[in-house]
Amino acid sequence: MNDFLLGYAANVDDWLPRLVSGAWVTLGLALAGFALALFGGSLLLACRRSGHAALARAAAAYVQLARAVPLLALLLALYFLLPQAGLTLPAFWAGVLGLGLQGAAYVAEILRGGLGAVHRGQREAGLAAGLRPATVFLRIVLPQALRVMLPALLNAFVSLLKDSSLCALIATDELMLTARAISSESFMPMHIFLLVGLFYFAIACPLSLLSRGLERRLARGRRVVGAVA
Amino acid sequence: MDLALTILGPLCRGALTALQVFAGAFVLALAGGLGLALACTFGRSRLLRALVALYVEWMRNVPALAHLFLLYFGLAAIGWRLTPIAAACLGLGAVGAAVLCDIFRAGLSALHVGQREAALAAGLRPGQVLRLVLLPQMLRVSLPAVGNYATQLFKDTSIASAIAVPEIMFYARNLVTATFQTGWIYLAALALYACIVLPMGWQFARLGRRLEQPR
Repeated sequence: MNDFLLGYAANVDDWLPRLVSGAWVTLGLALAGFALALFGGSLLLACRRSGHAALARAAAAYVQLARAVPLLALLLALYFLLPQAGLTLPAFWAGVLGLGLQGAAYVAEILRGGLGAVHRGQREAGLAAGLRPATVFLRIVLPQALRVMLPALLNAFVSLLKDSSLCALIATDELMLTARAISSESFMPMHIFLLVGLFYFAIACPLSLLSRGLERRLARGRRVVGAVA
Repeated sequence: MDLALTILGPLCRGALTALQVFAGAFVLALAGGLGLALACTFGRSRLLRALVALYVEWMRNVPALAHLFLLYFGLAAIGWRLTPIAAACLGLGAVGAAVLCDIFRAGLSALHVGQREAALAAGLRPGQVLRLVLLPQMLRVSLPAVGNYATQLFKDTSIASAIAVPEIMFYARNLVTATFQTGWIYLAALALYACIVLPMGWQFARLGRRLEQPR
């Protein structure tokens, strides 16, 4: 055990700066990918609720397909196919695109579930009271839907964070690739991958706990059938 | 088409290996998840529940790729050399056990406490209560979530290509370097995954509908 810990003491000066810079790239990947996913998911939901049957069906089909393929396959396809179509993206942006394209499908489902959880009567009452549809959506439906959506969106972000590790396999200079590089230089895979696990844990765990705390807090005081308070 | 056969042959072989990894990991995850969920729900030791909670948090916040690297490269460095498939099954199964633990715990807590009390009052032993009364209902309640996890697991077998498991993405990448037909190969791989994952999801949904209690 002592020898194991000594292994860290000897190398940590070299490893930590590299791992931290990799962690920043991972965060960048996750944030950019999530932003793209939010945008794409909103777009998909708008298509689905648009009223055009073809558009709605296309959006539904996209969501089903995007959730049926592994992210790794999507990333590899984007990274190696796009140059053939004339668009050579650096690995980081190919990763962001892949994360965003699949994330959009998941976000679309989360948004759909959240909006569906709001009673139809809320919208009808708002419209009957004379508010414009946009106002009804922004001031009445959306705030209530957010109660359901926020924890789920946070969970989706944590998933995206973990999936960003797959971008290492398309040579994106993020945390997992840095770890592999160090591991092959130093021949101490046990040390390095445990340390990297701790890094991911340190970034993702607070968000997961936040999501669960948010879920509990947002459900507090909600009047449910059978509840006494 | 000649090209179609050159591509589809190895990819289908990869699909068989992927199904192997899927089966191994799924069994491990079910057994582990069930054990952990029961320990959390019926265990009396607070330490045990804390340890399980820590395990579940670790598994759910650290990427599966890190676990696979740990098991394949890390253990090899201290002398335990696992085959790629074994490492993949173990790694994905360990992560799955954490996911299923949460799912089964939620399922168990959705059951009415009167079920257990009535069964015990009727004279069944605790083991029988579990086997005959609680688990069947819990499995029915958890089925949609377990089905979700199953499809996710099959997609996650693609990660095992990073530790040289000869599954679909592994063969796809080798084919690309051999034939340079990047477009067709990746398209075929994506289509193959969709062809397996979508029906799997539909079957779970059908099973769920058939098992649904009439309200």
